Amino acid sequence: MKGTYLGEFQEIVLLTIIVLNENAYGVSIQDEIEERTKRSVSRGALHTALTRLEEKGFIQSEYGGATSERGGRRKRFYQVTSLGRDALNEAKSVRDELWNLIPQGQ
Amino acid sequence: MSFPNPPKFLAKILRSLCREPFYEELQGDLEERFYRDCKDNGPSKARRKYNLEIIKLLRPSVIKSPQNPLPMNQLGIFKNYFTVSLRNLKRQKLFSTINIVGLAISMAVGLITISFITEMENYDTFHNKANRIYRVTTTRTNHLDQSNEYASTSLLAGQKLADEYSSAEEVIQIYKGMWGDLERDEKLYRFTGHYVSSNYFNVFSFPLISGNPETVLTEPNSIVLTEKLALKIFQSVDVLGNTIKFKKGTYTITGILEDFPKNSHIQVDALASISTLKKDEEYSHNWEWATMWSSYVYLLLPEDGNPEMIKKHLADISKQENEKASTFSMHLHLEPMKDVFPGDGKYNEIGPTMTRSYIQQIIILTLIVLFSACFNYANLSIARSLKRAKEIGIRKVIGARRGQVFNQFIIEAILVALFSLVIAVGLFMIIRPYFIDLTYSTRQTTTLELTPELVLYFIAFATIVGILAGLIPSSLMSGFKPITILKGMSIKGDRGISLRKVMVAVQFILSIGLATLVYLTEKQYRYALNYDLGFNTENILNVEVQGNDPEILKTAFSQVPEIISISQSAFIPSIGNTNSDHARLLDDADSFPTYTNYVDVNYLKNLGHEVIAGSNFTDGASSDQIIVNESFLRKFGIQSPDEAIGKRVRYYQNNRTVIGVVKDFNYGTIYNRIEPFAFQFNEDRFDNLNFKIQSKDMVSTLEKLDKIWSEIDPNHELEASFYNQQIQDYYQHLEAKTKMYGLLAFIAISISLLGMFGMVVYTTEVKMKELTIRKVLGAELVNLIVIISKNFSWLFLIATCIALPTSYYLYKNLTEGIVHQMEFNVFELILGALPIFIIGCVIVLSQTIKAARMNPAKTLRDE
Repeated sequence: MKGTYLGEFQEIVLLTIIVLNENAYGVSIQDEIEERTKRSVSRGALHTALTRLEEKGFIQSEYGGATSERGGRRKRFYQVTSLGRDALNEAKSVRDELWNLIPQGQ
Repeated sequence: MSFPNPPKFLAKILRSLCREPFYEELQGDLEERFYRDCKDNGPSKARRKYNLEIIKLLRPSVIKSPQNPLPMNQLGIFKNYFTVSLRNLKRQKLFSTINIVGLAISMAVGLITISFITEMENYDTFHNKANRIYRVTTTRTNHLDQSNEYASTSLLAGQKLADEYSSAEEVIQIYKGMWGDLERDEKLYRFTGHYVSSNYFNVFSFPLISGNPETVLTEPNSIVLTEKLALKIFQSVDVLGNTIKFKKGTYTITGILEDFPKNSHIQVDALASISTLKKDEEYSHNWEWATMWSSYVYLLLPEDGNPEMIKKHLADISKQENEKASTFSMHLHLEPMKDVFPGDGKYNEIGPTMTRSYIQQIIILTLIVLFSACFNYANLSIARSLKRAKEIGIRKVIGARRGQVFNQFIIEAILVALFSLVIAVGLFMIIRPYFIDLTYSTRQTTTLELTPELVLYFIAFATIVGILAGLIPSSLMSGFKPITILKGMSIKGDRGISLRKVMVAVQFILSIGLATLVYLTEKQYRYALNYDLGFNTENILNVEVQGNDPEILKTAFSQVPEIISISQSAFIPSIGNTNSDHARLLDDADSFPTYTNYVDVNYLKNLGHEVIAGSNFTDGASSDQIIVNESFLRKFGIQSPDEAIGKRVRYYQNNRTVIGVVKDFNYGTIYNRIEPFAFQFNEDRFDNLNFKIQSKDMVSTLEKLDKIWSEIDPNHELEASFYNQQIQDYYQHLEAKTKMYGLLAFIAISISLLGMFGMVVYTTEVKMKELTIRKVLGAELVNLIVIISKNFSWLFLIATCIALPTSYYLYKNLTEGIVHQMEFNVFELILGALPIFIIGCVIVLSQTIKAARMNPAKTLRDE
């Protein structure tokens, strides 16, 4: 397994999955990120990020129901594992620490 | 609301490349997004986005790793292929250049064709309901019993379909007769417009900038301007409620339209409500069955509708109406929007058109050039294969399988094709303006803009060309036996020779055939221009009256000393327009179609018509006098010209008297036979002035005319053209054909000569030892030349024998409609093939002499 380093985009994806809770699958994640960050995200980029996250064990996935507008194909729902939450917390605390270290008055 | 399906092409690529576990999820996500985009942004944007997403998905983490029975690192060997290919290209600079340039030229033609087709197929696709829009077209059989297909139709058909039947969801009527000058603040603005029904925007998806699409065209005297026209007139698009004048009417601006998309077959500057015409008595004939020349009916099929139903209703309508009409009959047809542009060449199209047959012609010619270039590559590659034989042998001994060697050469070919693509794109840019300029309809409809989609097509195209070009040499070369090669024996290439002979022969057939076609078309064009019409067109300048009083113009222009004489006429004959009616001798029952022109007293003299009996019109002539031609006499069984004088004729609803006979002349074009003709005298119909000009300095004379014109009519430009120029313009389609065939023939011939060059080099190389031994034994140069050129001469002869009759037959077929054919003999055709033969001889000679001059010691040293 590659290290537990969390890239900026991967972090956003992880957070988005948590935010979406039960409804985190490809399209909804893509939409949510586009809406929040106002930048366009290709499905390809998202796929790479999800694959990496899954390799690291930060998320897990399972197939859900099929709908007709997907040509009868099933959705794949993602969930953040506790390992993933730890990584997020870790990243956050690193940032908080750095924020706290900023000299006052600047 | 149902939406179009997502585009299939790239989706299939994804299907085949995507790793199995991801496919269901990814494809599902893409499709879900696509349908949502369709709803939010329209199908074309959604499609683009969808395709882009797929391309972005083609990344290592998604794509399958190539299935490989040998668990080896394939990348290394591919890298090796690449390096070896590059080295080979560099080492044999001459061959590589010939190959790349040859492919590049033909690919440039291919690129033009691809972008042309893409653009044409993209017409009218932006309408949301495009697949449900239909147009009513007409087959009209006239009083001469001639049937023609028209894109226009009677508005009555649309009216009845809407009022009495419910099979169409929406029916819109369009009247084209709105063009001329819009007036605002006493300034005139030239424009073209359509009168259209109020539900226009329920069918077509032209976006409005302002105004409510449901109501903008409801009220009479409403007008919707395009952004461009609004800016031209008002310098602003915020002009709702302003009024503008057109002819007698005042129109209120109710909406502003985005400029019509380039890929719309409907192109106008303004739309006005057709209810404007409905309340106007003057236009009431527009809703008669017989009026079909400038009106159009489009309709929207209900979502679950059946076009057959509407067809049946249209048949009912035409049956009812034809019963009332006596002199003509009309049959209505239903044409789906996708067949409108490119169309099948109907008359009275609503806007600029492109015919399917033109596109097909281009495709066929392109394929000819492309195949020629691919054969060429194959030929040259096989010719070079001698030098590569050792490499192949060693690869095989080390363990390469046949398939791998095959791949190697295919990859090499693709590489060459990709190099060529770079040059081809450059050439594409250079050829593009000429191609667009080729015909009237391409000028009107074609831009050939490079789009990202097109670039993808180009790359795919180059790859396919590479594979095609590499197919034959690769399969041949991968079949070499290592033992034979490495034993040091030269390869005879037994299998190759017959195949290559066929390829060279085919190339020759194509290029000789094209050369002959060019020769014939060019000759026909010259013939058409210099064809003796039977009257004089030299130094005649035709000026359109454009609604002014011809007498005033005549008086003003007669002041110009360079104008020797002035005459007036209704039409300009011999440039494609004709008018006719049935004529009948009063004491006879038979009637025949007779063509006509309205002229004044000076016309016959001014244009050099020869009066062989009776007299010309004289001042104060009455409008019931006519002057007929010789064919008229023949058709009506009048024995001599003198006998015709005084005959009474029923013609154009009046009794008329023959006062003169002129010699036959061709009022039509080379496509028409000379039929009965009668000049009439009618002062109200003069739309043209014909000046006979004698001037040393044409430019300043024309400036003088322009000045006089602008004093009389400041609102219009002087529309003057020399008669000979007008005739040349009419035959412009022949010129375009000559140019097109000429260019392609030049390309095909160059390529096939390159191919021949390759083959000669190959033959001399293979036969080098034989030639040297013969030389040592005392053979003359002539003998050597005979040995080398024997094969080619045969090939050339066979090719000529096939190509000449074929192209002659083809030409006859293509020009079936031309009545006045030029004459030529068979030897002339051979002339067309001669230059190719001569260049071929030069190539053979130069190579043989080179081989014969070689020092025998050098070639025989190895033995």
